[in-house]
Amino acid sequence: MNPILICRDCDTVYRAIPLRRGDVALCRRCDAVLARYFGSNVDTGLALVCAAAIFFVIANLTPILSIDIAGIETRANIWFAVRSLEHGWISVAALGLAFTTFLIPALQIALLFWVLMFARIGHRPPGFAPIMKLLHRTRPWSMTEVFLLGALVAIVKLANWVPITAGPGIWAIAALTAVLALLGRCDPESWWSIAPAVKV
Amino acid sequence: MTALKRSFDLGLVLCRTCGLAVSRASLGMDLSCPRCRGRVAHRTPLSTEMTLAWLIAGIVFYIPANLLPVMHTSGLLGDADSTILGGILEFWHSGDWDIALLIFVASVAVPFTKFIAIGLLLLTVRKNSRWQQHQRTVLYRIVEFIGYWSMLDVIVVALTSALMQFQVLGTAEPRPGIAFFCAVVVATMLSALSFDPRLIWDQRV
Repeated sequence: MNPILICRDCDTVYRAIPLRRGDVALCRRCDAVLARYFGSNVDTGLALVCAAAIFFVIANLTPILSIDIAGIETRANIWFAVRSLEHGWISVAALGLAFTTFLIPALQIALLFWVLMFARIGHRPPGFAPIMKLLHRTRPWSMTEVFLLGALVAIVKLANWVPITAGPGIWAIAALTAVLALLGRCDPESWWSIAPAVKV
Repeated sequence: MTALKRSFDLGLVLCRTCGLAVSRASLGMDLSCPRCRGRVAHRTPLSTEMTLAWLIAGIVFYIPANLLPVMHTSGLLGDADSTILGGILEFWHSGDWDIALLIFVASVAVPFTKFIAIGLLLLTVRKNSRWQQHQRTVLYRIVEFIGYWSMLDVIVVALTSALMQFQVLGTAEPRPGIAFFCAVVVATMLSALSFDPRLIWDQRV
C-alpha cells in the first residue's frame, strides 16, 4: 500500500492507515475520496471482468430494441445505432458514439482481463504501465449507462407510433452497466497495487 | 488535530495518472513518475488555458446544436425536421412530461450548467479567491459527474434512425444538429478534464 496519500482535488497530504471492509477514507479539507477498502481482490475483479465480457457479447449479438410491422422485423443494437449516424459529415457523431459506447467499453474489458489474468497467475502483465495509463485515460469516456437510458427514452418516443419491443440486449446492457459500475468502484489507482505483489 | 499540509510544503508531488506520491528530489530530468512513467507536474500545465479553450469551443458548438435540426422524419403525415427543443415540446404536449423533463435536463440544462459552473471556477481561480473553496470543489465534482449524460440525445436519435430505416410507416434520418451536439459533449468534457481542481486551493499570499 501507499504509505502516503495525496488528495487529487486539494493537494493535502496524508499518511495512509489500513482500511477495513467498507471503509472509505475522505479528505479532511475537501471531502474527496482518498481511498476505499480494496481487498486485494484479483479474483473478484477477474470474476466481474468475465461477467462484463459475457454481458457485452450478449448486448451486441441480441437485439436491444425491435419493431415488428406486418411480420417484418427491424432490430437495433449498439452497432446499428452507430451505423445509422453515418450520413455525410454527420459521421463524426457516429465516430463519437462508436468510441464511447462500443470501442472504449470493449477495450477496457479486454485490458482489465489481460492485467488481472496475469496477476492471477502471479506474473507482471506485459505492458502493465502503458495499459494502466490507457485504462486511466479512457475511463471518463465509457458511456454504457447513457446508452441504457437512451434506449429507454427511444422506447417511449416510438411507442405511440410503432409497435416497439425491448429485446434481451437491453437486459444485457443493464447488467453490463451494473458490473462496470462495480468495477469502477475498484478505482484504477488501486489496481496499481497488484503490480508489486507479483513478480517483476 | 494537526495542521493539514499540502504536497509542495513536504517536497512531494502527486502523479495524477497512477496516484503515487512522488518525492520531488527523486524526480529525474524527464519528470516522469517512477511507477507509471507518466509526466508528473506540481499543477497540470496550461490547465486554465486549456479549460477556457474547450469551454469556448463548447459554447460555440452549443448554438448550432440547438438551432439546427437533429432529425428528419418522413412518413404518411409528411416530412418534418425536428430540433432538440422541438422534440422536448412534442413530448410535453403529448403528455409525456417526464420524458420531456429528462431530455430537457440532459440536453439543455446540463450543458448550460456546465458553461456557468466552469466559467465560475475559472473566474474565481483567476481572482485567487478564497470564497467557498469547499463548495467550489464540490461544484467541480458535479461538473465532472454530469458531463457525459448530454450524450443521451445523440443515442436516442441514433437508435430512432436505426429502427426507422425502410419502414412503411415512415423513416428517420440524422441531421447536422446531432453532430454539433456530440461536439458540445466532447468539448465540455475535455474542458472539465483539463481543469486542475487544486488551483481552487492555491492562494498567493
